[in-house]
Amino acid sequence: MRKQLLVAALAAGALAQLASAQQAPRDATSPAGSGGSSNAALVGAVPDAPPPKLPDGTPDLTGVWVGSGPIGDIGMGLLPGEEIVLLPAAEALMKSRMAADDPEARCLPTGVPRIAPYPWRLVQSPAYGKATHLFFLYEGNIHSFRQIFMDGREHPDDLEPTWYGHSVGHWEGDSLVIETVGFNDLFWFDFVGHPHTTQLRTVERYTRTKAGELEVVTTVYDPGAYAKPFTVKFTHTLRPGWELMEYICNENNQDVEHIRGAAGL
Amino acid sequence: MKVGSFVLAAALVLCAVVRAEAHHSFAAQYDGNKPVTLKGTVTKVEWTNPHARFYIDVPGADGKAVNWNLELASPNYLKRAGWSSTSLKEGDEVTVEGSLARSGANMANARTVTFADGTRVFARSAQDGG
Repeated sequence: MRKQLLVAALAAGALAQLASAQQAPRDATSPAGSGGSSNAALVGAVPDAPPPKLPDGTPDLTGVWVGSGPIGDIGMGLLPGEEIVLLPAAEALMKSRMAADDPEARCLPTGVPRIAPYPWRLVQSPAYGKATHLFFLYEGNIHSFRQIFMDGREHPDDLEPTWYGHSVGHWEGDSLVIETVGFNDLFWFDFVGHPHTTQLRTVERYTRTKAGELEVVTTVYDPGAYAKPFTVKFTHTLRPGWELMEYICNENNQDVEHIRGAAGL
Repeated sequence: MKVGSFVLAAALVLCAVVRAEAHHSFAAQYDGNKPVTLKGTVTKVEWTNPHARFYIDVPGADGKAVNWNLELASPNYLKRAGWSSTSLKEGDEVTVEGSLARSGANMANARTVTFADGTRVFARSAQDGG
């Protein structure tokens, strides 16, 4: 009986996923990311369909995405010709880091541009028309969110350092450009422990290159940790039909007590 | 068995589709060069974050049972891969293939689970995602 249940469960899940991977999406995306079948631009194979737009012509980036920022090593995303040059203090800090001290392994936020290996949803408000706010809703590493102010405001001058900083965004052609400052220095960029300071400033450029793909080019400015800025590119992939699920990381986190060795190993 | 084979194949394909990494470094917690095969009886299932776990009693050389702590992917990844919280139950006889924890504890990351009737399922371990 148990085996039948397991087989049934596997079959149902596998078939559903295979079907969604092979057919035109019914709920790929929509304004406000609420799901729906109204988006004609997504009829057809998701990966190759042209990127959808909102009625006012603004690119529609809403939907459930998986990936993609640094997870293992931010250096994996370096654009050609780019390099990461650590200042001596930052290099020493990185070398001293132990894998068990990675805040993400301890169920703390990833910061920017790191991302957890779980889906996230991009939502805009208002749903139709010119957005004043964008929200990144993260399933993991903790249930958290980023808010991007799209109403033209500036960064305040009295920011206290936070995990996700203060983000303002605007459109440049079909790309969403987000500038963020006001970070704390607590999160790591990746498993290997690339550090940063509170001087960190990031500029992210999100471009939906096709319906199923969201490219993110991020330039990292941190004169407190790096000798020069560097730029990395990662690509998010649309998950048609997916919904976010609950993920409460610190419910039963036994991992850290069994993690061994230096972060860079 | 034909249906079972199909399901396994589909599950493997699915796993490739949803491939991702765990919230911690697999290499820092488990040694991929230390594979282990454990045969025993399920004593407890924890459908919890950040990773689902199950525990099995494995008969030791002296006849005494040794309890092992086996890590799976997170419940959300398992659910998306077709698992449920009742896929594994207390009392199930299983054979588990995985990688040993670096800490030396009786702990491993489960990669496959084989039931008494031979049905073998991919465990969606942290090594493979979630």
